[in-house]
Amino acid sequence: MPLGSVLLAFVIGAVIVAATGGNPFSAYAALVCGGFGIGCTQGENPALQISNTIVFLIPLITAGVAVALPFRAGLFNIGAEGQLLAGSIACTAVGIKFSSLPAPILLPMVLISGMIAGALWAGVAGVLKATIGAHEVVTTIMMNYIAQWLLRYLIIGGPLQLAAGTSKSSPIGAGARLATILPNDNSLFIFGLPSSVFRVHTGLFIALAAVAVFAFLLWRTSLGYEIRAVGQSQKAARYAGVSVRRTIIVTMLIAGAFSGLAGAIEIAGVDHNLTDKYFTDTTGFDAIAVALLGLGSAVGIVMAAVLFGALHAGGSVMQADANISGNLVFILQALILFSIAANFVGAIRQRIPGLGRPTALPPQMPPAAPLMTEAATPPAEA
Amino acid sequence: MSGLGDVLHLLITANLWQATLAAAVLLLLPALGGTISERSGVVNIAMEGMMLTGAFFGVAADLAWHNPWLATGVAMLAGALMASIHAFVSIQFRADQIVSGIAINIFAAGLTVFLINRIYGLQDVGHIGQDALLPNLNIPGLDQIPFFGKVLFQQNVIVYVALVLLVLIHLVLFRTRLGLRIRAVGEHPQAADTAGINVFAIRYGAVITSGLLSGLSGAFLAIGISNTFVPNMTDGRGYIALAAMIFGKWTPFGAFVACLIFGLGQAIYDNNSIIHVSPYLLSMLPYLLTLIVLAGLVGRSTPPAADGLPYVPGSE
Repeated sequence: MPLGSVLLAFVIGAVIVAATGGNPFSAYAALVCGGFGIGCTQGENPALQISNTIVFLIPLITAGVAVALPFRAGLFNIGAEGQLLAGSIACTAVGIKFSSLPAPILLPMVLISGMIAGALWAGVAGVLKATIGAHEVVTTIMMNYIAQWLLRYLIIGGPLQLAAGTSKSSPIGAGARLATILPNDNSLFIFGLPSSVFRVHTGLFIALAAVAVFAFLLWRTSLGYEIRAVGQSQKAARYAGVSVRRTIIVTMLIAGAFSGLAGAIEIAGVDHNLTDKYFTDTTGFDAIAVALLGLGSAVGIVMAAVLFGALHAGGSVMQADANISGNLVFILQALILFSIAANFVGAIRQRIPGLGRPTALPPQMPPAAPLMTEAATPPAEA
Repeated sequence: MSGLGDVLHLLITANLWQATLAAAVLLLLPALGGTISERSGVVNIAMEGMMLTGAFFGVAADLAWHNPWLATGVAMLAGALMASIHAFVSIQFRADQIVSGIAINIFAAGLTVFLINRIYGLQDVGHIGQDALLPNLNIPGLDQIPFFGKVLFQQNVIVYVALVLLVLIHLVLFRTRLGLRIRAVGEHPQAADTAGINVFAIRYGAVITSGLLSGLSGAFLAIGISNTFVPNMTDGRGYIALAAMIFGKWTPFGAFVACLIFGLGQAIYDNNSIIHVSPYLLSMLPYLLTLIVLAGLVGRSTPPAADGLPYVPGSE
């Protein structure tokens, strides 16, 4: 993980806080407390903070995979957000419609329907890229907004609205919910709090399974080989007998399934219904930072998701304890993106004698240029 | 009255077309900016963020000085500063321009709310008095023309500015030496460099211009159409502008036509008491239409050849 980029982002973030009259040390102390439960001064419960961080990182891992996989094929999926929303919508719709079914049937049903919806959402971009050559960045942006407005329609005046005047859906059936890891019991006290306040849920295991599937798929299957081959050089892949078009479509379908799963897990594990919270959801964009910071590797994605999960969980504590807006987290995230993309750290190292060549290279990612020029010419079939 | 009759009636009201033009201009300014930036070879998906930054600093300046003109200048400057980050990172450091664009948008969304919190505390930003907003301007005489007077000559001052800029940018891009240079840099930077054109300077200028225009649009939104700043108030308009740029095939007038189509959707949305369709479904239309254009159903939309390609001096 390019730790130098993260460090640089935090230094610049501290300057921004100081320049606007805040105390960066207390801000970051509150972030660490909120994210990892370490060094808390205002009586926060460390176990609860860690639980919150895990709740945040579950969808980040799953959606991070959905960005990292297409990267390997030379595709930039910035539509993870839209695919995630499609997954949440499908999960909710199925979870309401079949709410009376028992968990062993309904839970797989809602998760799989989320994956299918996400796959379809991403598949549009995949098919347009493979057949027409339409740039997937542009098409996935459009699909993001279509999903956002569809969501608003569905729960404000549309068929999923709970009641007039509300902006939420009815809850999904009990059988569609992911269990919390600690018992959902108000009378049982764990770490000094009722165990029901710890919302960390079994979606964690699904997320870890997803990242394992990603690594296996990429490095141990022929599809993974084809994905990497297409990412390295479409021309060479074609000579090796790989169907570039098919690989592009399949890659986007799988990526969308991961994003859709992330959305379904959020509904099944945390919210249990669609709410206006999803209007401002940024998980799919955070996932881009997770994939880039994790250098597209399974371990890297998990570590990056821990960092961003902790930042998000820490944001609210920072707001409360240090009176610094939790939005500093987004500033830090943007700075990390700039820093990785521009490889500032590498540039700094080169200027300092003795450090030699930069070791932290930006993640393996094709430059935008060939993607952009290919927009004019659809990939030829072998 | 019902159904088709209502729609037809709505379409012949001057009010609808007046609103359409205003809504179109809001999108046109960042779309023009995107067109200039991408014509020079720098992919720009950061109009949303630059517009949002412009909107915030426009409101902050207007609240402080009660001067909409000064505030508009500040908004444009703020947009340009955001753009220069994009330029610095993607031209100087050859960063992936899409990552940089996403980072700008996240940065703007975070920074504006962070600053509201630092400057105004937890309360909202506050409202700007009527006298400190960008004014409407009726062109004497012309505004009395039936129908067209209302549509074209009873508009906010920014609408006239934008229409002048539209023509100006079209002429500069396609009728001047500077425009030829911008397009050359976007199509084949190596050849342009060989011909003595400063590729970096042209690209910096083009990206910063896109920031100025997006900032102006942010000011129009916040202190012309609205009178305050709310978090994420651009609500995807920068991305619709991106769609308009593609829809318009990277030409100013093409983008304007797209903006008019999208603006008409917005105007119908605002007059939705007549047409009984969810405004949320209508909001999908710009994105759906752009997908259809991209799918090649209405002709191919092709970006400049070197769009997105960082220029490395001396490279092949």
